[in-house]
Amino acid sequence: MPDSKIRILVVDDFSTMRRIVRNLLKELGFTNIDEAEDGAIALQKLNTEAFEFVITDWNMPNMDGLTLLQTVRSSPTLKHLPVLMITAEAKKENIIAAAQAGASGYIVKPFTAATLSEKLNKIFEKMAAA
Amino acid sequence: MADNDSPDLEALFDSVAASVHAAASSPAPVAPSPVASPEAGDGNGLQAFFDTVVAEARPGVKIAPSAPVAGDTGEGGDWPSQENVFNRIGQMARQLHTTLRELGYDNILENTVSALPDAKDRLAYVANLTEQAACRVLNATDVAQPMMEALEEAAKSLGARWDKVFANQMTTAEFKRLAEETRAYLNGGLSEKASVVNAQLMEIMMAQDFQDLTGQVIKKIVALAQDLENGLMSALLEVVPQSKRSEVPGLMNGPVVNAEGRSDVVVNQQQVDDLLDSLGF
Repeated sequence: MPDSKIRILVVDDFSTMRRIVRNLLKELGFTNIDEAEDGAIALQKLNTEAFEFVITDWNMPNMDGLTLLQTVRSSPTLKHLPVLMITAEAKKENIIAAAQAGASGYIVKPFTAATLSEKLNKIFEKMAAA
Repeated sequence: MADNDSPDLEALFDSVAASVHAAASSPAPVAPSPVASPEAGDGNGLQAFFDTVVAEARPGVKIAPSAPVAGDTGEGGDWPSQENVFNRIGQMARQLHTTLRELGYDNILENTVSALPDAKDRLAYVANLTEQAACRVLNATDVAQPMMEALEEAAKSLGARWDKVFANQMTTAEFKRLAEETRAYLNGGLSEKASVVNAQLMEIMMAQDFQDLTGQVIKKIVALAQDLENGLMSALLEVVPQSKRSEVPGLMNGPVVNAEGRSDVVVNQQQVDDLLDSLGF
């Protein structure tokens, strides 16, 4: 089981979705959570504060989730950060593009608490094995 | 989601406009504008515009310098080809104009264009109501959840102590205290918290009242969008022959509203996982 104290950044332009993800994470035992409303703000936070996990939407103003992911993967200090995408984008080319950009997981909205839990565990397992 | 519509429409216009240019083998920025410009809905404006285009296209009429023509190599250039171009533009404008009139699209377009600002307000209203509802529900769960957690915890702890009673592991004094605490739990904590949670459930139910209001507004906007789309699309298809409409590819399309018959989208998480598995991710 992963450390429940890890700091998680939730990135989504809709406050409702951030709240829902935050509540679900709380339910799963993760309480150390911060939020960002787009990729640009997220990147700023990631560069100035320490986070162990990122959960991001795709379609956002200023900087979208894919660009955020690509920027994180190309940064020497952030590239190992796990990034889970939770998005309404359901085209196959989206999923492939996210995977190729190095997404740690991909969840399509609408999603369930069970799905989030499963994906998180899968990512933590992979991290532990690596 | 609504944001996607206007760039899409714009892209469609661009692609259609491009094929019009290609068909006329000369940049003719005036041709598509009756459709694209908001004034197009106005019957009189369209008539006036049409008249000017036809007048300009007429041979012998001096072309205004504000109408640039590519391919014109200088003063007194190749007049027959220029004439040809202007004739074609004139014909297209007439065709568009006639089509719009005949099919009644000029009225539809006029009505829909004038209804657009109203539609924006309506959509803002929908966004507002749904956001409020979401907040009300989340606030209610924020209040109710700790209550339920406290009740669950107290019930568990009392239950465990009652188990001890039944296992004969409790002194009389302890039993007395347990009985009192259980009574207090049943009379005070439980019913009190249950009524608070009940009130929050009611709040969650009442927060759904937006559905009725937004539903009505959305239906009106859908009808408006359909009118606008039908009018514009039919007019464009009438006027632009054999045009190749290429879909603008993009990675930010938002939720898939109708996945039926589409093989390029996934419909559930299982399909996402299968796709990623099949690619070895």
